[in-house]
Amino acid sequence: MRTSNVSYLVKKGITSVWKNFVMSFASFSILLVSLLQISIAVLVMTNIDIIMGNIEDMNQISIFVVEDITDAQLDHIKSVLNNNADLTDVQYISPDEGKIRFNENLGEYAEIMEYLEENPVPHSFFARVKDIQRIRPVVTAVQSIDGVEEVRAPYDFASALQNIRKTFSVIVIGVMATLVLVSIVIISNTIRSSVFARRNEITIMKYVGATNGFIKLPFFVEGMFVGVVAGAASWGLTWFVYDSIFSLFTDNFTLWEMFGFFNLIPFDGVCWTVLGINCAAGALLGAVGTIISMGKYLKV
Amino acid sequence: MVEMKNVNVHYSSGVDALVDVNLRINDGEFVFIVGESGAGKSTLMKLMMRELVPSSGRVFVNGYNLSKLKGNRVAKFRRSIGVVFQEFRLIQDFTVYENVSFVLRIADQSGKYIRQRVPYVLNLVELAHKAKSRTKELSGGEQQRVAIARALANDPGLLIVDEPTGNLDPKRSYEIVGLLKEINRCGTTVVMITHEHELVRYFGGRIINLDKGTITFDETIGGNDENE
Ligand SMILES: Nc1ncnc2c1ncn2[C@@H]1O[C@H](COP(=O)(O)OP(=O)(O)O)[C@@H](O)[C@H]1O
Ligand SMILES: [Mg+2]
Repeated sequence: MRTSNVSYLVKKGITSVWKNFVMSFASFSILLVSLLQISIAVLVMTNIDIIMGNIEDMNQISIFVVEDITDAQLDHIKSVLNNNADLTDVQYISPDEGKIRFNENLGEYAEIMEYLEENPVPHSFFARVKDIQRIRPVVTAVQSIDGVEEVRAPYDFASALQNIRKTFSVIVIGVMATLVLVSIVIISNTIRSSVFARRNEITIMKYVGATNGFIKLPFFVEGMFVGVVAGAASWGLTWFVYDSIFSLFTDNFTLWEMFGFFNLIPFDGVCWTVLGINCAAGALLGAVGTIISMGKYLKV
Repeated sequence: MVEMKNVNVHYSSGVDALVDVNLRINDGEFVFIVGESGAGKSTLMKLMMRELVPSSGRVFVNGYNLSKLKGNRVAKFRRSIGVVFQEFRLIQDFTVYENVSFVLRIADQSGKYIRQRVPYVLNLVELAHKAKSRTKELSGGEQQRVAIARALANDPGLLIVDEPTGNLDPKRSYEIVGLLKEINRCGTTVVMITHEHELVRYFGGRIINLDKGTITFDETIGGNDENE
């Protein structure tokens, strides 16, 4: 085909957007809402996952040793802990260091410590359990090491969190699947009725000898154009909505941090990715949806 | 050349629209197909442009075996003929100009040729002044003439026109048939479907009469215009 005729068809596709404004606008709105819903859902759920990961990172166990510990025993404990494949970040805390940390936690009450003659803080170790599901056997193993007095571990918290996370993944999959499915149904219905409104145009073109490709090209361009515009608009809206939610948490950062609200994804970090994905998804849904809807009118 | 061999068309509604039709139209002929409403004239035309395939029998047009055409070969075949539909089949949202230029785009003509050709054919049907009008704003007669202009645009070897005068006043009807005769004299085969016997008698030529789906008459008669 001549380039002049190809560019005619492309132009035709874009002018069709205005000519069929009501239908274009309907497709645009539906695409916009669907893409907005899905991108917000993805972002929010990714963040919740991060938060749960953060909380799960509090998988720290504290190991306190007996009062009359010898250096040899300490070295022994240290090496056993370091060789335990289930543990990472093994940290030895001397009584002096322990006291300093304790003081930090006490804040303004730190001076209480000054009244004590002896440092009450024992030698201790901190370690993280890699897989929170293995926390019980790990604690039992650590407890049996010679010289270990007490092991503290967040058992209940760990199992509760595990359950929440499992349930959450099921909900995420359910919500996403529903959103995507509902969007596809609504989008395809909207596009189908927009193509239906122009079925005469399509069949007439066929009757006067146009090939399918020739008829599809402007519709393809039109669907893609509407899709890209909807993608860009949903990106802007996502930005706005997401930033509003995000600032709710970051305004009171120290408070929320205690609950694991840190490392949240700032929109700036995913800005271009969201734009790219939304425009691509919009273009794909718009263009492919249109082409599929045309199918039956082309068979004349 | 159009050739039909033992053609039957049975609609799913139960109507036998054409019964054992045999027919041959040679290149360069001008043929009137006449018959009462419901006789099967439009069905015959739909066979010739491969809108329909016969229930049985074979249809050949310009060397194409229409029953065997598939996909884009159908499009290519349709581009080689010009058709004026009884119900016009114009794209209502297009301008008059666009309806005509569209078939030239389909035929992949250059922009330069299109800009010359469209006004030329619109002029033949005396509608050049309406080029920029939206098709849906035109009267029935005007739309019919746009349909004729569109059929002529690609300078087809075969022109099939279904009741092209149905919406025209008598004076204009004679002008249009005169135009078709003129086009025929330049070498295009013309098949014109009509139920207006006066027009047929006036112009004369080969006349095929359909009655309840069968050809009952196929002869050439002299017209008045040749005596003038
Ligand atoms: N698409 C169709 N489905 C069912 N019956 C049809 C269809 N088109 C035409 N017919 C019937 O076939 C017969 C011939 O119709 P048609 O070819 O349109 O006649 P004409 O053009 O001579 O008036 C009529 O009885 C008509 O009702
Ligand atoms: Mg008819």
